[in-house]
Amino acid sequence: MQRSIPENQEKKPKFLINEHVDILIEILKRLDGPSLGVAACVCRLWCTITSNDDSLWEHLCFRHVSNPSPPSLRPIVIALGGYKRLYMVSVRPVLSRLGDSGLVRKRVWTRQEMQLSLSLFCIDYYERLGGNGSERLGGDASASSLMFLCNPVNV
Amino acid sequence: MMLGLRTSCTLSVSMKRDHQESCGGSGYSGSSGSVGNGECSSMSTGKAKMWDDEQDAGGMDELLAVLGYKVRSSDMADVAQKLEQLDMFMGTAREDGISHLASDTVHYNPSDLSGWVQSMLSELNYSPTNLDPSGLLGNQQIDGPVLAPAESSTIPSIDFSNSSQQIENQSGVYHDDSEYDLRAIPGVAAYPPNETTSDEENSPKRLKTSFGSNSVPFFASNSSPSALGELATIVAEPTRPVVLVDSQETGVRLVHTLLACAEAVQQDNLKIADTLVKHVGLLALSQAGAMRKVATYFAQALISRIYRCPQDGFDSSYSDILQMHFYESCPYLKFAHFTANQAILEAFATANRVHVIDFGLKQGMQWPALMQALALRPGGPPAFRLTGIGPPQPNNTDALQQVGWKLAQLAETIGVEFEFRGFVCNSLADLEPSMLEIRPEEVESVAVNSVFELHRLLARPGAIEKVLNSIKAIRPKIVTIVEQEANHNGPVFFDRFTEALHYYSNLFDSLEGSSPGLTPPSQDLMMSEMYLGRQICNVVACEGPDRVERHEMLNQWKSRMGSAGFDPVHLGSNAFKQASMLLALFAGGDGYRVEENNGCLMLGWHTRPLIATSAWQMAAVES
Repeated sequence: MQRSIPENQEKKPKFLINEHVDILIEILKRLDGPSLGVAACVCRLWCTITSNDDSLWEHLCFRHVSNPSPPSLRPIVIALGGYKRLYMVSVRPVLSRLGDSGLVRKRVWTRQEMQLSLSLFCIDYYERLGGNGSERLGGDASASSLMFLCNPVNV
Repeated sequence: MMLGLRTSCTLSVSMKRDHQESCGGSGYSGSSGSVGNGECSSMSTGKAKMWDDEQDAGGMDELLAVLGYKVRSSDMADVAQKLEQLDMFMGTAREDGISHLASDTVHYNPSDLSGWVQSMLSELNYSPTNLDPSGLLGNQQIDGPVLAPAESSTIPSIDFSNSSQQIENQSGVYHDDSEYDLRAIPGVAAYPPNETTSDEENSPKRLKTSFGSNSVPFFASNSSPSALGELATIVAEPTRPVVLVDSQETGVRLVHTLLACAEAVQQDNLKIADTLVKHVGLLALSQAGAMRKVATYFAQALISRIYRCPQDGFDSSYSDILQMHFYESCPYLKFAHFTANQAILEAFATANRVHVIDFGLKQGMQWPALMQALALRPGGPPAFRLTGIGPPQPNNTDALQQVGWKLAQLAETIGVEFEFRGFVCNSLADLEPSMLEIRPEEVESVAVNSVFELHRLLARPGAIEKVLNSIKAIRPKIVTIVEQEANHNGPVFFDRFTEALHYYSNLFDSLEGSSPGLTPPSQDLMMSEMYLGRQICNVVACEGPDRVERHEMLNQWKSRMGSAGFDPVHLGSNAFKQASMLLALFAGGDGYRVEENNGCLMLGWHTRPLIATSAWQMAAVES
């Protein structure tokens, strides 16, 4: 049985978020890390956006930094592996560890925490560099320097 | 006579062990003795009624009488002691050594507990030396040093009577019989009520030696009073020492045995030392975790020293690998790198071309972070030149060049102009400043960085002065030095040993703390322990130019640098904050402490500082 649809409703276009990627990105920019991860699982489009659009992660990394990051930072981070990797490998563990230990209040973090994360990120990149024919320690290619960040915190 | 409550406790414990039933009720202090405590529960309710002070005719202890043993109340402490000794001996003797007790000994009056114990002990005392058992077992006054070398006595605990004659006899006879030699071990860990004997942190007490004029070589001479100071804590005052058999005691015994062995090595009594060190191995098995590993490493090092084993050659690539694992598993090296880098960064704040000379390049793990920080400098990165110094490689591979290549790749990635030069030399003292091709001061600013390298130079006379002069000739903007905070370079072996034992125990504890309950232990952890084990071996087993792990305290380095013509540079709060944050990232991070000491930063585990970073510049010269 067909309902009679009022005419004004028929004329109103439906709003599909997936057709407005720029709005979608604006929304995703405001999510926190875990939520971004969840968003990546929604559909292929969202997954593509979250993995390819590094600026999302850049916003995530620097959202709460009090000082604006220097313009020279972006090429360096991108060269070292990108903001997503920076977040996953360095920023997120550092924040969660420091949050646990009470050194960071309210997820606003200072230049020093940023510096520390960047340094650790750089060390991670360096370790992943294979030497020319030099034996990797233990033969595993993944960076072990930051493994200490992945260990559970001793409660 | 007043019997210590503890005596009664152990009496009841040992009785409990022997008889599967407790011996006495709650303690009551009668005019001639108190018995038991709450530990013996099963009998206590039944015997609680026997609390009255009446004694049997003949002064026999009432509670034991119920069990069928006639022990004079006045003898209670004595019997307790003998039982303990017997127990300890039986626990440590070889099996065939005591089987004769079951078959051959004849007991005439089993209810006479005192006599029985005495006869047991004298049975075991069949050595050719004229030991007077009653002299040993009777009123004992343990106020001598703990190291009894007596092999032939079968008393496992330390019996020091005032008979120096006896001791001399004991020292004269030496059976190569390791089990009996256990007497040499301070087996009596006294826990007098007002003392705690945890480990050698206790304030040392002076030992009273009551051996008259007989100077027995095994005992501590006055030349090393501090060494035995710790051992003194196990020496009882005139009240009887009592052995509390519990697991903590083996830990204390382990430490004491190690110290006794080191003392023996110091005195050149290698046979005794050999016996002791084997017992250390046994005792170490009873421990768990860090203490066991430390004890094992120290025991191995002592064995190397006793038998003068040549040390395995300095294989630098292997030690580099070990150091990498040490880098991963604990924050010490990271702390060193971050704090030194911060000092260098601040010194290079306005320079356009910078040159860093690294005295020990290894894998170059310090430099990525510095290069990244330079790259993000507000005015843009300076040109970065690195000179890496390293030891010769065994298989002729050019490890330095490989590291330089990796760093160059990184530099290109982050956009820093990079130049690298490697220098291979056996010792830093072989370097001449001219080789380094330092450019004039207007052109480049130089930093000299040394992480755990300078102490090696102390092994050869004159080397450190030469290197410091070379550094001065380079005219660096800043010199960063990271060294272990320990005194492992004293002239007396025993002092070095005790210092090292304390230091490495703390280090191993911190390693343990950072990977709590991880079974199986990670490869990083094991390799880190091996890395430290090699240092232990060097400190303990080597001498002369081979002993390169000559750690010294920060104050000693400060005075050395000061007299060489350097002024201290204070590490700022930036470095402190970064270091604190870094430590907070580590699991088990609450055990680590960063301390500031007059501009130098020290990283320690709980209260003990373990490494120290300091920064220096050329002293201002009035022209």
